[in-house]
Amino acid sequence: MRVIIGYGNELRGEDAFGVDTIKKLQKLSLKNTKLLSLHQLTPEIVLQLLDANEIIFIDASYDEKNHYALACPLTEQDNLNLSHHISPKTIIYMLNNLYKNMPKFLIYSMMSRSFDTIEDTLRYQECVDAVALYLSLEGQKIDF
Amino acid sequence: MQKKTIVIDPVTRIEGHAKITIDISEEGVVEDAKIHVTQYRGFEKFCEGRPYTEMPALTARTCGICPVSHVVSATKAIDEILGVTPPKAGVNIRKIVNLAQMLQSHTLNFYHLSSPDFIYGFDAPKEDRNIFKMMQTHPQMARDGINLRAFGQKIIEDLAGKRIHPTGIIPGGASHKIEESTKEAILEQVPAMLKIAHSALEFFRDNLHKFQEEIDYLGAFPSLFMAITNDEGTLEHYDGKLCFMDSEGNILKDKIEPRDYKEFIGEAVEDFSYLKSPYYKPLGYPQGMYRVGALARVNIAKTCGTPLADKELIKFKALNDGKPVLNTFYYHYARLIEMIYAIEKIEELLKCDETMSDNVRSTSTVSYERGVGCSEAPRGTLFHEYHVTKDGIITGVNLIIATGNNNLAMNAGVKQVAQRFVDPKNITDGALNRVEAVIRCFDPCLSCSTHALGIVSSKVEIRDHNKKIIKVFERS
Repeated sequence: MRVIIGYGNELRGEDAFGVDTIKKLQKLSLKNTKLLSLHQLTPEIVLQLLDANEIIFIDASYDEKNHYALACPLTEQDNLNLSHHISPKTIIYMLNNLYKNMPKFLIYSMMSRSFDTIEDTLRYQECVDAVALYLSLEGQKIDF
Repeated sequence: MQKKTIVIDPVTRIEGHAKITIDISEEGVVEDAKIHVTQYRGFEKFCEGRPYTEMPALTARTCGICPVSHVVSATKAIDEILGVTPPKAGVNIRKIVNLAQMLQSHTLNFYHLSSPDFIYGFDAPKEDRNIFKMMQTHPQMARDGINLRAFGQKIIEDLAGKRIHPTGIIPGGASHKIEESTKEAILEQVPAMLKIAHSALEFFRDNLHKFQEEIDYLGAFPSLFMAITNDEGTLEHYDGKLCFMDSEGNILKDKIEPRDYKEFIGEAVEDFSYLKSPYYKPLGYPQGMYRVGALARVNIAKTCGTPLADKELIKFKALNDGKPVLNTFYYHYARLIEMIYAIEKIEELLKCDETMSDNVRSTSTVSYERGVGCSEAPRGTLFHEYHVTKDGIITGVNLIIATGNNNLAMNAGVKQVAQRFVDPKNITDGALNRVEAVIRCFDPCLSCSTHALGIVSSKVEIRDHNKKIIKVFERS
């Protein structure tokens, strides 16, 4: 089964990208796909991912220069000093080491420089639509 | 020797952002140490002008880890403004959700933030003192932490709508009754969760002998304690009167109505921190330093009122022959007892027939111009005070966040541990970790609700008395 996790804070402008993309995907009735809309990633989420063979994380990533680019940042803003939320890397590490589940995983990020407001509603929505459409089409190709 | 200041910025494995400075005197000894809370929130100001109905949702955004506490205190303050008494079922739903949050919050502190220190020791290489290493060497313990947190979070979601920033706790009570199937699903998990909580407590107790120096010097000092208590004197987190106890166990003042808190609690402001420094007014500032949270609660409570937690409380109180336990390190112990209590109490409340009633909410309109809501958050006593117009528009807000109550004690703890462990001629990572660890004992929640920009790396700067940096330690 494929699990798509969109996460972010709907009150923090473009940080809502993951959550808004999940809302779009919910209208598309994807087969063999579980959709999770989360405020943030927390350790107990792994219990909802135990039967996943592919996990897709959707998030906004802070980037001053490449606003509205769709990409995956290669340098993860992550470290060992955990507080109340964790990263996709930690989620996958937990699945691998605690539950012997080795899912394929992908991260889809929209570069954003604004976690206060949605600066350009049209371009923001284009990004949401583009990722939702792509994941919808990819889901049709793959037999889970 | 030149005067220096060591800066630990930010403090790691806590909720939120803070830094610690350690001042070294010309004689080469630790002169002072302080915790600086470096984020400013401004909730008290920007809530002004909003309708009172928004306060639970607005103030919940103070935090992503303990939003339930803010919702509970906010709705209790509004209950006073409306002049309503929530029905028993509504109160019990609030209590269960509050306990579920305390359980998941304490679990996060023990398993994810503090256990690396307990497993590997404070002097272990920093590469090992983290959750990744813990998952490798203690996988079952890590799975236990995940299961316990999931249990608490699921209860919040099922009873209050959302795991983070729940909407089901509302003025007058709760938004909906508990479904029978939800009740049964929770009760089914209780035995397994109790087993996990017990094994965590046993692990901690079995390893206590390794940490005698930390027990003795990580914030071990006399102070007052404050918590809310009920008429029976049992452990209480939702409702009751305020009680102040001194370090000998004498009750200085009890049966204080929360709405009268300003008669007994002063709020000082220091120029080195955005966190207020509340103090017990009759003793003045800063002599009126007090501690709140799990340690204060179990020190003040005569019993827990649930069988398994009561057995543990007896052992806990024996640590200091029945007098209040003064060692800040034992906050961890107290939290583990509260975890057992929370599971037992959730079971008890769910089995109460009145909890399952359809009548979960009372309604009214604005009747009073002031309301104070007070509850025990995971980290201590939380106050919300609102003033409204007759139309229900907020004209004034005062919040004392649970962690803020501990501000003076946290600073005293940082100073004590720095003076004991930090050798200015040979600053070790273990010593700096202990300085952070005393803060971690209090489990402070300084955070905003979500993503903070920037990498939380830990940096220690040594500065001379002119604030010129002369050496930098990178710690992650």
